[in-house]
Amino acid sequence: MIRTELKRGTGELSVLSVLEDGPLHGYEIGRRIEEQSGGALRYTLAALYPLLYRMERRGWLRGEWETGSSGRRRRCYRLLPRGRKMLKPMRAEWADLFRVLRRVAKVNHA
Amino acid sequence: MLDWNAYVREHLGALRLRPEDASEVSEELAAHLEEGYEALRAQGLPDEEALIETGLQTGSWDKLRRGVNSERRRIPLMDRVKQIWIPSLLTLFTAWTMLALLMIAGLRPLVWYTGGVRYFILYVPWLLLLPFIGAAGAYLSRRAKATGWRVYFSGAFPAVAIAIVFLLIMPFRLVVDPYVVHDFEWAGLASMTFNWVVIPGIALCFGVAFQGFWKSCGQVAS
Repeated sequence: MIRTELKRGTGELSVLSVLEDGPLHGYEIGRRIEEQSGGALRYTLAALYPLLYRMERRGWLRGEWETGSSGRRRRCYRLLPRGRKMLKPMRAEWADLFRVLRRVAKVNHA
Repeated sequence: MLDWNAYVREHLGALRLRPEDASEVSEELAAHLEEGYEALRAQGLPDEEALIETGLQTGSWDKLRRGVNSERRRIPLMDRVKQIWIPSLLTLFTAWTMLALLMIAGLRPLVWYTGGVRYFILYVPWLLLLPFIGAAGAYLSRRAKATGWRVYFSGAFPAVAIAIVFLLIMPFRLVVDPYVVHDFEWAGLASMTFNWVVIPGIALCFGVAFQGFWKSCGQVAS
């Protein structure tokens, strides 16, 4: 499990990345991130929803209510063009950070 | 069966949001928790343990409330400026500057007197320009991620501004100007409103609607 201080800042890239393949609702976003990170990144509701609302306000995502086959209403988040545009520079920024950490902190497998 | 909506409302407390936003947030969080709980139950966890584990997934309710309050608050000032006020002032300035320029260039309006103070006055070339001005305002507003009434307000602001002026000035003049009181006729006010608010407003709204239609066609095509 990664410490909260380290996790801070990874949220935006994680959410944008899992939404790259298609719209998901909040629970599914959290589950996918956890699954794809092998359980290392787990977001509580207190961390996930303010993040989703902030990204929505910036015009990176759009949340829309949908009713599933079970009749349950869920708010699905869809990546907007502005959010998709953010992915490339964000990935480059993180890659830079890993490169720097490899040099400075001798992190081999960042 | 636990009422997850009630559970969320009880723990989250009062949000500083509009009631419809607050109930939307509660519903969304409740759906998340319910799904998490059902997944844990499906994994074979007993009811009580699943409830405890679901509660842990929330983290701090205080932190959640603070985060939701600050991120879901009504559009912040800068967004409001970009979505409403900049497009509105630009449409207002453009519309009335165009009318002034056309008048300087010698534009004569079409006028019909229908008796007394009732008349219809149409600056046709200006009215033909208004849909474009409305569409430009709507474009700027939508580009700043505005939706619904904000877009129409921005696009039709020149007509809205005149309506506001009429509403503010007429009662004032009725009080302070005896000539206005003496000559005042509701029919005159109605025809002025029709000429300077209704007709330009329709032209501007047509532009706003057309820009929306054009944008949605573009989205479908892409």
